[in-house]
Amino acid sequence: MTNKTTRFKPIPQEILEKSVELSNSPEVLLELLSNLQALPESLSRDNITYAARLLNIPAHHAYGVTTFYSMLSTETRKNTLRICDGPVCWIKRASAEEKHTKNVVDLISDTVPSEWTVERSSCLGLCDRAPAILVNDDQAGPISIGETKNACQGWKGVPTDYSIPRPNEKRVMLANTDQIDPNDIHSAIKFGGYLGLQTALQLTPEEVIAIIEASGLQGRGGAGFPVGRKWKFVSQAQIFPKYIIANADESEPLIFKDRVLIDSNPHQLLEGMAIGGYACGASEAYIYIRGEYVSQAQRLKLAIKQAGELGWLGDNIQGSGFSFHIHVHLGAGAYICGEETALIESLEGKRGEPRLRPPYPPTFGFRGHPTAVNNVESFAAVPHIMKNGSDWWKSLSTYSVPGTKLYMILGHVRKPGIFEAPFGLTLRQIIDDYGGGLQDGSSFHFALTGGAAGTMVNSSMLDIPLDYSSSQKGIGLGAGAFLICDNRVSSVAFLRELLHFFAAESCGKCTPCRVGTWRAYNLLCQMADNEITEPDIDELKALSENMLLTSFCGLGQSVPISINSALANFASEFSASRKRD
Amino acid sequence: MTINITFNGKAIQVEPGQTILQVARQNEVNIPTLCYHKDLSPTGNCRMCVVEVKNWRFLQAACVTQVTDGMEIETHNEKVTKSRKLSLQLMLANHPQDCLTCEASGECELQDLAYEYKIEAPGWGTKGTRYTVDSDPNPFIRVDMNRCILCRRCVQACAEIQVRNVWGVARRGIDEQIVAGADTTMLEAHCESCGQCVAYCPTGALSNKMSYGKGRRHQIKKVPTICTYCGVGCQFDFNVKNGRIIGVSSNPNSPVNGMALCVKGRYGWDFIYHPDRLKKPMVRQYLLDGKTKPTHYDPKCPDWGWVETDWEKALDITAKKLGQTIDSHGPNSVGVFTSAKCTNEENYLMNKFSRQVIGTNNIDHCARL
Ligand SMILES: Cc1cc2nc3c(=O)[nH]c(=O)nc-3n(C[C@H](O)[C@H](O)[C@H](O)COP(=O)(O)O)c2cc1C
Ligand code: SF4
Ligand code: SF4
Ligand code: SF4
Ligand code: SF4
Ligand code: FES
Repeated sequence: MTNKTTRFKPIPQEILEKSVELSNSPEVLLELLSNLQALPESLSRDNITYAARLLNIPAHHAYGVTTFYSMLSTETRKNTLRICDGPVCWIKRASAEEKHTKNVVDLISDTVPSEWTVERSSCLGLCDRAPAILVNDDQAGPISIGETKNACQGWKGVPTDYSIPRPNEKRVMLANTDQIDPNDIHSAIKFGGYLGLQTALQLTPEEVIAIIEASGLQGRGGAGFPVGRKWKFVSQAQIFPKYIIANADESEPLIFKDRVLIDSNPHQLLEGMAIGGYACGASEAYIYIRGEYVSQAQRLKLAIKQAGELGWLGDNIQGSGFSFHIHVHLGAGAYICGEETALIESLEGKRGEPRLRPPYPPTFGFRGHPTAVNNVESFAAVPHIMKNGSDWWKSLSTYSVPGTKLYMILGHVRKPGIFEAPFGLTLRQIIDDYGGGLQDGSSFHFALTGGAAGTMVNSSMLDIPLDYSSSQKGIGLGAGAFLICDNRVSSVAFLRELLHFFAAESCGKCTPCRVGTWRAYNLLCQMADNEITEPDIDELKALSENMLLTSFCGLGQSVPISINSALANFASEFSASRKRD
Repeated sequence: MTINITFNGKAIQVEPGQTILQVARQNEVNIPTLCYHKDLSPTGNCRMCVVEVKNWRFLQAACVTQVTDGMEIETHNEKVTKSRKLSLQLMLANHPQDCLTCEASGECELQDLAYEYKIEAPGWGTKGTRYTVDSDPNPFIRVDMNRCILCRRCVQACAEIQVRNVWGVARRGIDEQIVAGADTTMLEAHCESCGQCVAYCPTGALSNKMSYGKGRRHQIKKVPTICTYCGVGCQFDFNVKNGRIIGVSSNPNSPVNGMALCVKGRYGWDFIYHPDRLKKPMVRQYLLDGKTKPTHYDPKCPDWGWVETDWEKALDITAKKLGQTIDSHGPNSVGVFTSAKCTNEENYLMNKFSRQVIGTNNIDHCARL
């Protein structure tokens, strides 16, 4: 019976052609599948099985990967329109009176030519262009539902311009963006590019780490782990080779700073990574960038090429004997791949499921080797510290946490967007001094701070200085994003949108998050549309507690932050006596 | 070197490098598990085994957390029990509530835990209506993914024990599902029907097709036996109901094979009650009649017919024929081929018989595994 169903079929020529440029290591699976998606049969079961055979892996492995990432599809499609349904885009559509009985995807499907497949997407990282869409590989927005058909004819809109600093800004990483051409390394060098690397190469790796440690630079991915300490662990590990990874997955709703950094000055990231490599003793590096950032990935590849040509990357950098190679790896749609161990799994060509920890990446990372995973912004800060010293970095701020960081301000403020400033700002300052104040006619209802996995706060927290430890006071800094919502936004419906995101992005590995996010989302759908009952609230609390206490990774563990803060700060809105909106 | 920990309020000394679960089992404390199995590498995904460690922010999965010096562990306090209950509810929300017709009932780890923790299945959820029941045409394995709790033991059993890599995990979040190959049938995904995945599945998601409906745990007696098929000598249990064998199940204490069996051992038992099975010796009619062998084979000729006889007669005839052959053609005209179905002792005797009684070295054995 077996040999009847598994008759040998040679791998078709067209499949072989799509793989010629790739190695036959399982690590290239994601790339190979993305290539095969362009074939007429797309990722049919047969094609997936051929891909698996090419790489000598089980068919289930290739199928599991295909169905894990949202940008890979087993269906044939000519053109794809991805509609962002992240919370910022949701608010924008809702407040533009685009409240409809039908869902947005169906509405748009009705208006665009039939060769376009329309599908929802979790946050696209284009929150400053909300409502945003992805037109095949192109980022576009802001665009209303009715106008979306124009995007199929090539309309893209323009990226937000951040070249002019806001009043009160203190720019380091965003400095000179009005004059730096991101596609030309010479303009970056004119403004001090690669001076930090040059400085580092004249020191010993230990001295470099000592400077970064002394600067007090904390990781900008959200948790604030000291960068110098992480590098020390990697440099001390005795397994070779070691790896550097820049985390550019940036898939959390509200967060788009890494995209802006790459679009304004990609060399600063490359330089920071090279310094990290020198410090840790690594010569190979990867930038894991989310699949929706195709143009940013291309920009990085160009920058890497230019830096190689000028001897700032590649073999024997500036005759120092130190070699450093950076590879760009595109993801394919999965928030969880921002979690560092899931990222590494994904980089190894697997489903992006987090690993058991310990061991942590500094001892057991990519390919089981010591690996430093840092956020793009963390790397971007490094060249400036190398160039100017740790005391200078500390002097940028009078607050206890040194240096500057990027902040994103969104929602019902006059001037949404991105800015750079020291730590210790209060929410009030962020709104008034940087965001231009609330929009006319708006009154503050709540803010989501940090990111989607952040805190929903009310006006009682407007004056707490923010840093990585302020979450203990009930207001998180996270990756530095602030979504300000006025009274038009219901806190219950908003929390529902957050849970929609988490339920869509849960990797599914562990029970409390896989089922818990889904149940909490359904429960909140009910609560937003109907009367709220006591048992509803009790159940939400219980789900939240269970996710917090027992989830396998940071995704499930952080969902309760938003739920608990919403329940605590908006108790009257989440109560059985609440009037319906 | 040992380390000191406090375990449910009791100070104890344990070897370092062990998991909390191992320590618990040594101390006869029963921490519930679903995704963990001692034969498989731990994944820590069901979150049933969580325990509280003092001063740690989150509950810890006992199956994957190592004990460290000074740890204070509580395995059954209120916080822990509450969380286990909720996790079980989350599993049962999408699970059919019909142990009534489930093959696994009585030896289902999920059922046991739901009972022990007195779970009421929640009113929401899909209640096991998402997938086709009995969805795979594999002749031996019954697949009902509605009952699957995504513990992934099947995935690991197939990968780590059988090394066939048939089962895998597809999709994500609430849509996560166990699939064979690229969502094909098991056989298309190169399954060799060994049934390891069934043996390791804690629920009725994977069960034995041939046994379905014939008898469950409380109705059967498990009779340990050795597989008759080959020289490996795997041990397993016959499941016997009313004196009749209705299936085979792995016996975890089997010294040679553990839980593993091959398709013959696990599913090749239906010959036992097959109408064509030979239970008595048969000889050709002409031999019984003491005639000489007819020159031409003719199936219609009664001389060629098979006749049932007793062992005495059959052995007599065999001995006589062997003797004649040796006398007229010499001992090397005879070859002996022994069977894996014989015991070691029987095989030894055949060896003696061949070399010393017949006088030939032409002896071999069928076991080639
Ligand atoms: C669900 C989840 C998603 C994450 N997403 C990102 C991300 O998109 N970018 C990022 O830099 N870090 C992300 N992180 C944090 C990373 O795991 C890791 O801590 C970080 O990249 C370390 O860099 P840093 O020390 O420079 O901050 C995420 C964590 C979790 C749990
Ligand atoms: S908490 Fe669990 S299901 Fe959620 S993303 Fe992490 S591992 Fe996956
Ligand atoms: S798998 Fe277990 S819990 Fe589920 S129906 Fe079968 S016996 Fe009952
Ligand atoms: S029967 Fe054996 S080979 Fe087939 S899927 Fe199960 S474990 Fe794998
Ligand atoms: S089929 Fe059984 S062993 Fe496999 S994941 Fe589901 S419940 Fe676990
Ligand atoms: S038994 Fe430990 S997590 Fe499943």
